[in-house]
Amino acid sequence: MTTDATRRDVLKLAGYGSAATLLTPVLGQLAAHAAGDKAAARKRVVFVVQCNGFSPAHLMPSGVARPKGGKFTNEKLEEVSLADRTLHAALEPLTPFKDRLALLGGLSGRIALSDHSANHGALGAYPANKGPMAQTIDCALGEAIPGIAPHVGLGLAEKPDETLNYRLSAAGPGKANPIQCSPGLAFKALFGSVAGGTSRAAFDRRTNLLDFMADDVRRARDGLVGDERQKFDQYLEAFENLRDRQGKIDAIKDELKARAPRLDAQLANPTETNRLGAQFEIAAAALITGLTNVVTLTSGGGGQHFPPFPDLGVPIGGHHYGHGGGVPGKTAEECFVAVRQYHCKLVAGLAAKLAAVKEGDGTMLDNTVIVYLSDSGDGHHPQLHEWPVVLIGDLGGKLQTRGRYLQFPAYGQKAHRTMANLYCTLLHAAGKPRDTFGVADPGLKDVDQKGVVAELLA
Amino acid sequence: MTRLVLALVPALATSASAADTGFRDTAAPFLTAHCVKCHGPDKPAGGVRLDDLPADPAKDVERWAAVRDQVRDGLMPPAKEPKPDAAQARAVVAWVSGATGAKAARLPNSGNLIPHELLFGKPAAAGDAPAPRVWRLSPDAYVGFASQVFRGKLNGLVQPFTLIPERGIKDFAGLYAIDEPSTEILVRNAEAMVEAQTTAKNDGVREFVTLVNTAEPTRVQLEAAVQLQFKMAIGRAATADEAARFARLYEKCAGTGDRPGAVKTMLQAVLLKTDAVYRSELGGKADGTGRRMLAPAELVTAVSLALGDKRDAGLAAAAAKGELATREQVAAHVGRLLDSPREADRVRVFRFFREYFEYDNATDVFKDKPKTFIHEPRQLVADTDRLVRHVLAADRDVFRELLTTPVSFVNYTTKENKQTRKQDPARAVVPNPNNNKGQAGVESVYGLEEWPAVQPAALPANTRLGVLMQPSWLAAWSTNFDNDPVRRGRWVRERLLGGTVPDLPIGVAAQVPDDPHRTFRDRLTVTRDAACWKCHQRMDDLGLPFEQFDHYGRFRTAEPVLDPEATAKNVDKKGKPLGPVHRDAKLDTTGTVADSGDPKLDGPVTDPRDLVRRIAASDRARQVFVRHAFRYFLGRNETLADAKALQDADRAYTESGGSFKAVVMALLTSDSFLYRSGM
Repeated sequence: MTTDATRRDVLKLAGYGSAATLLTPVLGQLAAHAAGDKAAARKRVVFVVQCNGFSPAHLMPSGVARPKGGKFTNEKLEEVSLADRTLHAALEPLTPFKDRLALLGGLSGRIALSDHSANHGALGAYPANKGPMAQTIDCALGEAIPGIAPHVGLGLAEKPDETLNYRLSAAGPGKANPIQCSPGLAFKALFGSVAGGTSRAAFDRRTNLLDFMADDVRRARDGLVGDERQKFDQYLEAFENLRDRQGKIDAIKDELKARAPRLDAQLANPTETNRLGAQFEIAAAALITGLTNVVTLTSGGGGQHFPPFPDLGVPIGGHHYGHGGGVPGKTAEECFVAVRQYHCKLVAGLAAKLAAVKEGDGTMLDNTVIVYLSDSGDGHHPQLHEWPVVLIGDLGGKLQTRGRYLQFPAYGQKAHRTMANLYCTLLHAAGKPRDTFGVADPGLKDVDQKGVVAELLA
Repeated sequence: MTRLVLALVPALATSASAADTGFRDTAAPFLTAHCVKCHGPDKPAGGVRLDDLPADPAKDVERWAAVRDQVRDGLMPPAKEPKPDAAQARAVVAWVSGATGAKAARLPNSGNLIPHELLFGKPAAAGDAPAPRVWRLSPDAYVGFASQVFRGKLNGLVQPFTLIPERGIKDFAGLYAIDEPSTEILVRNAEAMVEAQTTAKNDGVREFVTLVNTAEPTRVQLEAAVQLQFKMAIGRAATADEAARFARLYEKCAGTGDRPGAVKTMLQAVLLKTDAVYRSELGGKADGTGRRMLAPAELVTAVSLALGDKRDAGLAAAAAKGELATREQVAAHVGRLLDSPREADRVRVFRFFREYFEYDNATDVFKDKPKTFIHEPRQLVADTDRLVRHVLAADRDVFRELLTTPVSFVNYTTKENKQTRKQDPARAVVPNPNNNKGQAGVESVYGLEEWPAVQPAALPANTRLGVLMQPSWLAAWSTNFDNDPVRRGRWVRERLLGGTVPDLPIGVAAQVPDDPHRTFRDRLTVTRDAACWKCHQRMDDLGLPFEQFDHYGRFRTAEPVLDPEATAKNVDKKGKPLGPVHRDAKLDTTGTVADSGDPKLDGPVTDPRDLVRRIAASDRARQVFVRHAFRYFLGRNETLADAKALQDADRAYTESGGSFKAVVMALLTSDSFLYRSGM
C-alpha cells in the first residue's frame, strides 16, 4: 500500500468524522497533496550527525587530491562532477545515490571551534561551549516545514541508559532540544499510541488527562509572576502541545499502525549497531507517516560521546582512534573508515526507504535533503577551516545536488563560504529565507559572511 | 571622548532612574578617564568600542559584562596606562553587576561576580528577602519522589530531568523548567507508577488495588483515594475543590466504560501536578514586615530536600501539628537530620563536596591503560569519598582538614566479617594475575608498596596533602595524556580564591604544543604571549605546583621527556628504530599566588603543599568555601542581600571550631533560606 492511497483513505474517513475542524491544517496539506499539487509537496530535511570528526580526505572522490602542503588556497570554487569518479571507500555505500550527491569541501565553521564536539555550535554556527545560545538549523527548519511534531531528535549515546542528549539541538536561546537516545522510548513516544496494543479508550483517557493537566497547571500558574510564571507556562505549553498532537495522530492512526517499524529484535539485543539501526528505522517511519518533516539523527554527536562499535570490529570508543590508537587488526584510519562506511550504509538505507515511497510525480526522496556531517567538523581535534558535509537529495528541486564535488574558496578568501551560509541556503530552499545564521566568525573580518551558498541553490 | 558625552545627554535628559544616576556618577567618568581613549569610534583597539555603550547595562549585557570582568580582574586598562583608583573600579564593578540583572549571574559558576569585599568587608545587616520561587525537583529528588509514591522496585521509570553539563554546582532553582519531552516522560512515568500502585502484589497501595477492583466506586471512595495519593505525592491534603475536580476527571474517563482505567488516570493526574514536580517556595502568611516566612508545608520540602532526596516524615508530622512555624522549630529538625544515623537523611551534605571539588570527574577522563600499574579511577573516587566522609564525621576544622590532611584512604572498601557481623576494611581492587601481569596495585598510585591494613593511612612524608592531591582530583583535572595545570589553576582561582576567569575568547584555538621532548610547564609557555597571558596569569601559576604529580596522580620528582638524541641512536644492528628513549627532566613545582584579594596569600609558593597550606589558613578562602556552600544549599547565587547569612554561616564555622554542620545549620535557618518577599 502506498502512502498516497492511505492518505486519501484517511482524508475520506476524517471528512465524515467530527474532528474535522481540529485537523484543518493537516487536512489542507493532505488535500493539496492528494490533488498532486507539487508546489505544496511536503519537504523533509534529515540531519545525520556523526561524532568524532569527518576527515576531508573521505569526501574526495577518485582523481581529486589535496594540494601539496595540505592547505587549500583556491580563490574560486573548484568543482568536479562525480559522474565518472568513484567515491572514497568510506563513502562507498552512498554510490547508488551518486547522482543526487553534493560533497561540500571547504566550508568553514571556526566560530564553533572546540575539541571533540562543537555541541550546539555544530548545527547552530556559534561558539561550541556556551550552551544553546540560539536556535539550531534543525529546529529552524522544523519551524519552517512543520509536521505533526516540528522536529524529532533520535540518537545513539555511549551508554544505553543515557536516554536524552541535550547537547546538539536547540529550539531557541537556552532551550536545548532533546535527542532521544533510547530507541524503545522513541518508538513509544512516536508510535506507542497505536502500535502498542493500547485500546481506543486508553487513547481517549490520555486525551482527557492532558486536558485536565493543562487546566490544572493554568490554575497554579495564575498565582505566579515573572520568571516563575514562565516556568509553569512552559509546563502548560507542554501539556497543550501533547494534547494537540493527540488530535493529529488520531487523524493518521491507520497509517501509523501500518508503518510502525518492527524493532523487537533490535530492542532485545541493544548493541550499538542495533540501537542506531533502530533509530534510523524510526526516523524513516516518522518521515513517511508525516509525524515529522525534520529529523536529527546523531551517532554520539553532542557532548563527548564516542560509542564503540564492537560489531564493526571497532570495540573501543572513538576517542581512542581519534588520538591515533588502533585496535587489533586495524589502524586508527581503518577504524574511521569502517565506522563511516557503516554510517553511510544507514544513510543509504534511509534514502532508499524514502525513494520507495511515491509522492506526487516522484518519490519522497525527491522532496528531501539528507545533510550528513560531524559535530566535530574535520576531525577529533578539528581546525574547522573546512567542515565536510554530504548532501543527498535536492529538496524538491530547490538545491543543486546532482552529483557534484565542490571545493569552496579557501578560508579567508573573498568568496569563502561558511556553515552559516549553508544553513541560510537550507532555509531559503525550505521557503523561510534568512541571510545570517548563528554568530559571524571574527577571523573572517574581510569576508562578507551573509547570504547563501549561491552555487547550491537551484 | 566628545561622543561619549554627547551620547550621554539624551539619556540623562529623559529620565534619572537609578541606572542613569549610576551611569552618570560612576561608570561614565570611569569610561571617559580609562577606556574611551583607545576604545573610541576611530580605530577602536581590538575592534571593541565603548563610547556608545547604553546607559542601562541590561540593554547590552554582553558588552557591559565584558567591561566589568576586565576592570574587576585588573586586565584593563593595560599596564602602560595610568592605574584606576581601586575604590572607583570596585564601584564600577558593583554597579554593573547590579544593573545587568539576575540573568547575567544565573549560572553557579558566575556567583563569584559579586566582589568578595562587598559580602564580607563589613558587618552586614539583614537584607531584603529574596523573591518567591518554584524549583523543579532535581533528578535525585525525582527518584525520591517516585519512591514515596511506590515503595517497591519500579520497572520502566525514566529520569525525566537533567542538570546543566557545566562543572561545579548544578541544581539552581533558576535554571530549570519542564519542557515538552520531559513532560512526556513524566506522563509515562505516572502511568508506570500508578500501574505498580494498583497491581503490585506486596508493594501495591491496598486502597488503590481495592478501588480498581470495585465495580462501581462511590464518590467517597474516589475522594479518599485522591487524598491518599496527594499525601504520598505532594505531602498535603487536597482541597475540597481539588478533590471534586479529580472525581470529575474520573467520571469523564469512566464514560467509556473502563472504570479501572479511569481510576488510574485520576491517580496519575495527581503525580503530574505542579506541586508534585516543583518545590514551592512562595512564602506563607505575611508578617507585616514586607516578607513572608515559608509556609509549614513548604518548609517540609525545603528542609527535607536541602539535606536529602525525599520528604522527611518527622518534618511532615511537625507541620501537621503546627510545630514548624518558627526558626527554632526549623533548627531543631535541621539538627536532628544532620545528626541522623541514616546517611540518606543528610546525603546532600556529603554530595556538596563532590560538586565543590569535582574529584568524581576522574571517571570521565579517558586514559591509556598504563603498563606498570593499575589506573582505576572509580576506586580513586571511592577513596576520596571515604576521606570526605571521614573528615565530615569528625566535623572539626573541616575546610582545613580537607585541604591539608596528611592521611588518605587507599584502595579501600569494607567487607562484612561473618563472625562479628562488622564491616572490616578490605583491599578494594585486587590485581588479577592474568590481566594485571607486571602491574603494581592501586596503592602504588598513592606511593605505597603494600596495601595498608589500618586506614586512613599515612602517606609517604612530604608527598601529598588533602583532596587536591588525591589521585582522584588530579586525574579529574587532567587530560587524556597530560596534566591540566590551566584548569587546575582555574579551579583554585574560582573555588578557593573566589576569583573569576573570563571564558576562552571566541575563535581562539587553545592548544599546548605537542613537543614530547619538553616538559609540560615548558610547553605551556605558549600562554605567556601577551594576549593569552592577560587571562592565563590568573590560572597557570596556581595550577603548575601540581606538576609534582603525573596525570594519573602519582608523586614524582622528575618529569620524563623524550630524548631525541638517544632515540635516534636506539636502533638495532640493521638500523631499525627500537622505540623512544626518555630522560628525566628537572621538575619545577613552583607557582605564584597573585591578585588573590588577600595580601597574606599573595606571593611565590615552592610546591603544592606550600600552596594548599597557605590557602587553608586564609580567612578569605574559607569564606569563599562558605559562599559555595550557600549556593549549593540555597540553589542560587548569593546577592548583596545575603551578606548577613554568609557572615553568620562563616561565624558559626569559626566559633564551632570548624564544624560544617554548623555552616549548614546557619544557612538553613538564615533569613535568606526561610523568608520570601511579599506583603
